[in-house]
Amino acid sequence: MTGQPPLIRLAGISKSFGDVHANRDITLDIEEGRILALLGENGAGKSTLMSILAGQLQPDSGTIFLQGSPIVLSTTDRAIGAGIGMVYQHFKLVEAMTVAENIQLGHAGGMWLSWPKIHEEVRDLAAQYGMKVDPAARIGSLSMGEKQQVEILKLLHRRSRILIFDEPTAVLTPHEAENLFATMKLMVGQGKAIVFISHKLEEVMAIADSIAILRRGEVVDRVAAAAVSSSAELAERMVGREVLLQVDRQPLEPRQIVLKAEQLDGAGLHAVDLELRQGEILGIVGVAGNGQKPLVEMICGLCPPPAGTIRLLGMEWRKFFADQQWDLALSYIPEDRQGLATCQGLDLLDNFLLTTRGGFVRGPWLQRALADEKAARLIRDFDIRPPNLQALAWQLSGGNLQKMVLAREFYRKPRLIVAEQPTQGLDIAATEDVWKLLLEAREQAGILLVTGDLAEAMALSDRIAVMFEGRIVATFSTDDGEYVARIPQMMAGLEPDV
Amino acid sequence: MELAIIVPLLAAAVQSGTPILYATLGEIFTEKSGVLNLGVEGVMIIGALTAFVVALTTGNPVLAFVAAGLAGTLASAIHGVVCLWFKGNQVVSGLALAILGTGLADYLGTGYVGQTAPGFSPVALPVLSGIPILGPIFFNHDPLVYLTYLIPPLMWLLLMRTRPGLCLRAAGEYPAAATAAGLDVDGHRWWGILMGGFFMGLGGAYLSLAYTHLWTNNLTGGRGWIAVALVIFAFWRPGRAVFGAYLFGGIMALQLRLQASGTQLPSSLLLMLPYALTVIVLVLSSWRRGMSEAPAALGVNVEPAD
Repeated sequence: MTGQPPLIRLAGISKSFGDVHANRDITLDIEEGRILALLGENGAGKSTLMSILAGQLQPDSGTIFLQGSPIVLSTTDRAIGAGIGMVYQHFKLVEAMTVAENIQLGHAGGMWLSWPKIHEEVRDLAAQYGMKVDPAARIGSLSMGEKQQVEILKLLHRRSRILIFDEPTAVLTPHEAENLFATMKLMVGQGKAIVFISHKLEEVMAIADSIAILRRGEVVDRVAAAAVSSSAELAERMVGREVLLQVDRQPLEPRQIVLKAEQLDGAGLHAVDLELRQGEILGIVGVAGNGQKPLVEMICGLCPPPAGTIRLLGMEWRKFFADQQWDLALSYIPEDRQGLATCQGLDLLDNFLLTTRGGFVRGPWLQRALADEKAARLIRDFDIRPPNLQALAWQLSGGNLQKMVLAREFYRKPRLIVAEQPTQGLDIAATEDVWKLLLEAREQAGILLVTGDLAEAMALSDRIAVMFEGRIVATFSTDDGEYVARIPQMMAGLEPDV
Repeated sequence: MELAIIVPLLAAAVQSGTPILYATLGEIFTEKSGVLNLGVEGVMIIGALTAFVVALTTGNPVLAFVAAGLAGTLASAIHGVVCLWFKGNQVVSGLALAILGTGLADYLGTGYVGQTAPGFSPVALPVLSGIPILGPIFFNHDPLVYLTYLIPPLMWLLLMRTRPGLCLRAAGEYPAAATAAGLDVDGHRWWGILMGGFFMGLGGAYLSLAYTHLWTNNLTGGRGWIAVALVIFAFWRPGRAVFGAYLFGGIMALQLRLQASGTQLPSSLLLMLPYALTVIVLVLSSWRRGMSEAPAALGVNVEPAD
């Protein structure tokens, strides 16, 4: 390294939300003329870190240096002034306004706006970077790729020097993504620094100069892209191997089949077969976005399988969801515990009744007193804090809310459980609690565990299925060392040749 | 009908549409910034009383007119404090302001009921008033009417062709984008509320300084509510607000004339006309475009990030 300080240095940045550490002591350099990829699973802390850099969040501790001198980015305005610009995953564009109006927004300058002149400027700037946009077009009439170009033009027009892209390809067609990469190359060629947030391995390999890998809020690895030989190696670094926690898992005798899927096709899946028996946990691992979401949605009845069959507890899909019992059936523990699993503004008792109310009805009446008694007991048994049924869901920490969801779902004595990222964002203690509860529940049920955390899959699963691009690459026992060693390759799409 | 009847009727439509126009323009400006102020009726009547009292005590109608605007600004600042500082519900706050304003004006104005104050009188504009038909309709009014011919184009220029206008609209359309662009959303909303309140106050002043020259209880008579509806009819465009305001002014003038002509229709039915038209207009404009032209973040408070 030369003596020149990096354009931006993040030094010891930490940020917590309640008891969740989103970022822990992160140190990172962002250099001129280079593309830095931030790689990590959902919830690894990438977006939090970049929101701090964009002035949207304040770090609890740590310092940001701009060309060697410390700066405080207390507002987005300050960050913009420092030349830091962000292309958000959800575009910050005013739909009812034109391209040129959006680009002018927040731009300092004279009182009067001369649109013909501004349109000319925008057209020139776009041409300079090989983009074609009509400055007079309304944002609402543009495609996602065009909207993203407007976001980029906004930053270029302000002469931002550090451009942050938050999962920019998530909304793009492959062709649009290629165009984006070409634009990014042009921009670094002109001395801009780019931070590229992604969890798509191939993209990172293709475009990045250096790669920082985040896991559970920490930078666990920093490598030059040239030093990485394959996306499998990246996958391995990303999901991690080290065992933080050990739980005692004794194999049980698998009993009857509770879930059987055959030849599921469409909605991003390709010929998916799987089988799950009572008494076992089947871990679905893979990089996020490789078909886990549609698979879960089909199994949990959120959307019908376009092709193929699913049998739950021996019943055909349609019939099962037509007259699903409140108990002894399916429990879904969604990834989005705030949005899908609970109502934030309701108290714990009402949240408890969301899925268990079937057990507390007498004629048209809800037996609230009885529900109160049962829920209070669960709160004691599961050690949920605060131990107060009148607490509103949003007042609980992530770990306690997740325990509340588990307590509720297990009260239904499910025979099939679908648990999606059940410990995401939880601290070690809460993770351990959740793991133990899942293992206990296994005695009565078959559990489909969808996780991006390989350590979690290894600790809990009896069998593991690896997904890549909508296919199940392989299914094998957790005790099969040869297969387990090849999980990273399989996550990157390579067939296991054992 | 003959010209001799129609021309004076249209001239009267312009005059009785003017206070509604002031208020509608004010509400458009406020709503463009993303704040729904349902308190127009209250702000207007506070403006009307202020104008009357100032004109009565100082004898200076111009001063009274400006004072009414400032009183409107002050009254709507209550709405700003509730909605922008305390992030209160905009609908509830607006309704409370409407009730507070009318109650306060009735209470404070009791002593003035029946008194007259100096105000504005018609001044025929040279040359322009000589134009046949258009002259008597548009150019034979008091100066406050002429002022409203200038405000819509100026407001349009401000909103569409200036930087502050762009920022104000962004605050009303998508505050998150405005924040990401480094703008102070609540700051721009304050402008929307205060400027809007100024125009609402002027609308009230027109009633006591030019329309009647005297003070009675409930002088605004629901015009503030009509203004709220007209904003939707105008699709939030200052230019269209002019047509809407004159349409309502026309109906108000017509029903007065019908009553005076000794028609068989019961007067209560005639008095109902403007309000019935409000409902019809709202239904029709919702049918045509719905709320698609409304500022996307209208009525939505911007919660501070933690």
